[in-house]
Amino acid sequence: MRPSSTPFASAPPTVRPFSSSGPVAGSESSNFRPTPPGAPSTLTPFSAVGPSPPSRFIDPSVPSPSVKSVPPSGVPYQRFPTPPFPSAAQTPPNRAPPVGQPPFQPPASHVSVPPPSFRPQTQVPPVPMGSLPQNANFPEPPSDPSLSGPRPNFQPPFPGYPSKQPAVSQAPSPFSAQQGSFMAPPAPPSPFPIQQVSYGPPPPVANNLGYQSRDQMQHPGSAPPIGGVQSLTEDFSSLSVASMPGSIEPGLDYRTLPRPLDGDEVPSSFLEMYPMNCDPRYLRLSTSAIPNSQSLVSRWHLPLGAVVCPLAEAPEGEEVPVINFASTGIIRCRRCRTYVNPYVTFTDAGRKWRCNICSLLNDVPGEYFANLDATGRRVDLDQRPELIKGSVEFVASTEYMVRPPMPPLYFFLIDVSISAVRSGMIGVVAQTIRSCLDELPGFPRTQIGFITYDSTIHFYNMKSSLTQPQMMVVSDLDDIFVPLPDDLLVNLSESRNVVETFLDSLPSMFQDNVNVESAFGSALKAAFLVMSQLGGKLLIFQNSLPSLGVGRLKLRGDDLRVYGTDKEHILRIPEDPFYKQMAADLTKYQIGVNVYAFSDKYTDIASLGTLAKYTGGQVYYYPSFQSDIHGEKLRHELARDLTRETAWEAVMRIRCGKGIRFSSYHGNFMLRSTDLLALPAVDCDKAYAMQLSLEETLLTTQTVYFQVALLYTASCGERRIRVHTAAAPVVTDLGEMYRQADTGAIVSLFCRLAIEKTLTSKLEDARNSLQLRIVKALREYRNLYAVQHRLGARLIYPESLKFLCLYGLALSKSVPLKGGYADAQLDERCAAGFTMMALPVKKLLKLLYPSLTRIDEYLLKPSAPADDFKNIMKRLPLVAESLDSRGLYIYDDGFRFVIWFGRMLSPDIAKNLLGPDFAAELSRVSLTEQDNEMSRRLMKILKKLRESDPSYYQLPYLVRQDGWYHWLCRLDNANTPTSPAKLMIYRSSLLNVVNSSAPADESSPGVKTTTGKKGFARLGLLSMVVASISCLDVGQRQKTLKTGSA
Amino acid sequence: MGDIFIWLISFFILIALVVLLIYQLTCLADLEFDYINPYDSSSRINKVVLPEFFLQGFLCLFYLLTGHWVMSLLSTPYLYYNVRLYTSKQHLVDVTEIFNLLQREKNQRYYKLAYLVVLLFLSLFWIIFSALELEDD
Repeated sequence: MRPSSTPFASAPPTVRPFSSSGPVAGSESSNFRPTPPGAPSTLTPFSAVGPSPPSRFIDPSVPSPSVKSVPPSGVPYQRFPTPPFPSAAQTPPNRAPPVGQPPFQPPASHVSVPPPSFRPQTQVPPVPMGSLPQNANFPEPPSDPSLSGPRPNFQPPFPGYPSKQPAVSQAPSPFSAQQGSFMAPPAPPSPFPIQQVSYGPPPPVANNLGYQSRDQMQHPGSAPPIGGVQSLTEDFSSLSVASMPGSIEPGLDYRTLPRPLDGDEVPSSFLEMYPMNCDPRYLRLSTSAIPNSQSLVSRWHLPLGAVVCPLAEAPEGEEVPVINFASTGIIRCRRCRTYVNPYVTFTDAGRKWRCNICSLLNDVPGEYFANLDATGRRVDLDQRPELIKGSVEFVASTEYMVRPPMPPLYFFLIDVSISAVRSGMIGVVAQTIRSCLDELPGFPRTQIGFITYDSTIHFYNMKSSLTQPQMMVVSDLDDIFVPLPDDLLVNLSESRNVVETFLDSLPSMFQDNVNVESAFGSALKAAFLVMSQLGGKLLIFQNSLPSLGVGRLKLRGDDLRVYGTDKEHILRIPEDPFYKQMAADLTKYQIGVNVYAFSDKYTDIASLGTLAKYTGGQVYYYPSFQSDIHGEKLRHELARDLTRETAWEAVMRIRCGKGIRFSSYHGNFMLRSTDLLALPAVDCDKAYAMQLSLEETLLTTQTVYFQVALLYTASCGERRIRVHTAAAPVVTDLGEMYRQADTGAIVSLFCRLAIEKTLTSKLEDARNSLQLRIVKALREYRNLYAVQHRLGARLIYPESLKFLCLYGLALSKSVPLKGGYADAQLDERCAAGFTMMALPVKKLLKLLYPSLTRIDEYLLKPSAPADDFKNIMKRLPLVAESLDSRGLYIYDDGFRFVIWFGRMLSPDIAKNLLGPDFAAELSRVSLTEQDNEMSRRLMKILKKLRESDPSYYQLPYLVRQDGWYHWLCRLDNANTPTSPAKLMIYRSSLLNVVNSSAPADESSPGVKTTTGKKGFARLGLLSMVVASISCLDVGQRQKTLKTGSA
Repeated sequence: MGDIFIWLISFFILIALVVLLIYQLTCLADLEFDYINPYDSSSRINKVVLPEFFLQGFLCLFYLLTGHWVMSLLSTPYLYYNVRLYTSKQHLVDVTEIFNLLQREKNQRYYKLAYLVVLLFLSLFWIIFSALELEDD
């Protein structure tokens, strides 16, 4: 309880003088909340101040001084010991009248109740004049980045560059506007512009100043309205779009753009509010403030939903606790089947518990009973992790099984046609599987089996009593049958020798194979028949277009006329219904499919990937696979796939409180019922997104709860339920929704929605709808503040969404969405689409905005300590200016490295790193460790970077500043002729988020050609900015839409 | 005399079509309320989709051959819609996406049902009309 923030409690002395201090109210504006324009009734937050103690709970409809509802004294200030419900206790008085005050107050209780608004009724015209520092009224937890930094809010939040303070010319306007409405007309606004630079004190200070100013108010006229100036700390960040002197192109100064150089930032305020929530790595909401009404939802143009990664890898010491209720049975709500969680409340001396989701009173089973202490908490709380932790894992009893838990099962379907043999894929795969045999999860129950195929299908009998595997060839593709009832699928520990013999001989068995056909569909059916008894994981290694039997595919995408028409999207969906049907059947029998595709020609990933999409698997694509170049990547990723902890035969459901429901799900899975995701094999690298919708027009609860439950079979054979619980406040204020927004989750949802859209319409439409939604959201946000502030040509955005534009742009330039026909190969596009549909938030953001670091200085330093890795790995903004031609850079998007050699990089470095052939064309040089310190260091850096995220392996691509051309050819696909346009696009995709105008080096032809493209990239962002600004004027709406979609 | 039989036959064909549609709708509704799984639901629906199409086509032809070209003309839009669905391979429900398409599939069948009910009333009218005519003779 803060003494300073108790203006309510029966009119403290400091407040009194006020009521009579009429005319000087101007500087007191800091106590107003910005009022959303949508609610006219909220425009009169001014309490009528009579002689009686002021209160802010005034019914706006009755502005008479005599009518006021005085809150029960002391209630709003009480600090509650238990986190879950303080907000509930606090809010009722707040929300009774629609005062435009956000009803939600962070219970973490640094919360000081906003000071009341004292305003002489007579003086004040009923205009919304609060300009208001968020801080004074609505303190957020101090760790919020927007508040804690000393950085003035007016300054563009981009520390790397000297700010030009572009907003200065407009900034004073809000003041004068306010003064105008508050004060006698001629108040000279002159002092303000000067002070402007020092805006935005850290929040606590702002608070104090608020009170200071009140003190000053007691001596009317004695001091300049400092409080007023301080109070103008804005609620948002802004970006000026006015043309700048000295800039080449008028418009946006790209240096002021915020850039996510620290990677993904998880909003921490949410977690502090609800410390018992599960960690954001498992569940992230696109905004942690749930709107209470349908109308609020319709004004929130961003996706409203969640991204769930149920099995995310936890760092050491934060593992999810496993709880075995044994005889008690798992405690669940009788009605809604919610699992017991930290937010349930125990009543009736501990005999009953109330479900937090449906608020039904349940009985506590006898074995689970514990007494309550004086505060109503169970005495055994500290021994019950399920009651204090947001993430727990229950051991499920037999009632959660429809059959005995299945053993981990790996089945391999390997293409052995001539192209597979030539690329060396078979060798790498056989070797990798063999090396992973010891690490396959679930020893000793693990089962394994193989089928190889070309124009015929080869089964292998691996019975443990054999010394050599027996091969059986089936050539009847139309009526596929399994030649042996058992022994095609064997227990690994029993048949270990046979399996090893098989893997050793596999590469040589087919090395002279000249068969070019691929009977993929029939082989898949055969594998399905073998596996359907148990389910498991099916790994498909496909090297060419399926050409025989069922599911044979045609070459598509050659007809250029299709691109850009309404038929374009058909190329991105499976051609043959066989694949969808097969995927559905595979899921039904608990088989998860991972597709590894290697071809240098068209393989129709759109069709093959469908198998992975609906079975919860993923697609790995290695275009033009050559074992000596890509072998390492395949080795690593296959090993990761085989050895990571996997949850088998899983289903996932996410429950939420009354009044809301999850309406759509996005990701790689199949829906088994309206809200049940079937996931035959799920692991830590998969995330699922879902969108929320409101069922009732008005939510009456103060908090909604979400519970993700994943029922699965662990590799050890135990059936388990992993439960993540999170709570989020319900708000009535759009501004609060924006403040609590989570860019990462929003971008992830956007990404999935856009990729899904490419399956039903043109790429361009998908990009436009993405852009339009961002523009609409920013426009709505602008409308929130446009009334109080004269915003001029500034883009305003909430601190929490400062990177949204950038990520939106990056998204529309990502492989699945970018450009048109020539910009990405069809297969590549589809493969990237399938991959991005499953990526967890962090990984996706890294892919969208890769890191760029300069390393030559570190390499040159004679003896840098090993531990300053963090220091050297300083991310640079992705602009051409970041690249110095004397430097050496690493660009890392999580899927590959690009090592960029500046043109003027000292030859010593190049020689040290690349060995004797450093002067050769870099595209033909592969990076291997040389015998010198520098090379070892580089390798160490690469290793460190790879370790930071093991889910994919980044292959280094070497690029010389002048020699981009060859690199591009190689990356692109050596077989296809490369047109200059294609090259240009490729290059811009390297720095695809580059928003720079000036090329790094005028004389470098490579960079020069891209300027146009980069300019275009900039335009994309600019048009978003302009669109969201020009919409201020209703008359210009038409024009806005045009610009927005430009 | 023959007319009344023609109308009776068309009446029963229409009844059969309505029954097929209602069957599909119940399958979809059951799916929505989680009484059956998507596999069963879609296989049941897909089993009757083509019979429905053929029956409707037959009805259209039947009207034309028996000289009731106005009725034939009235049922051609339905036929055209079915043919278009068939040629674009969208006539069968997609088991993998069935939940996302649920609303669309339901609406489509509701419209068809309404259309058929109108035709049903028309043919009922013709039955009575021709019966009365028969009486008059």
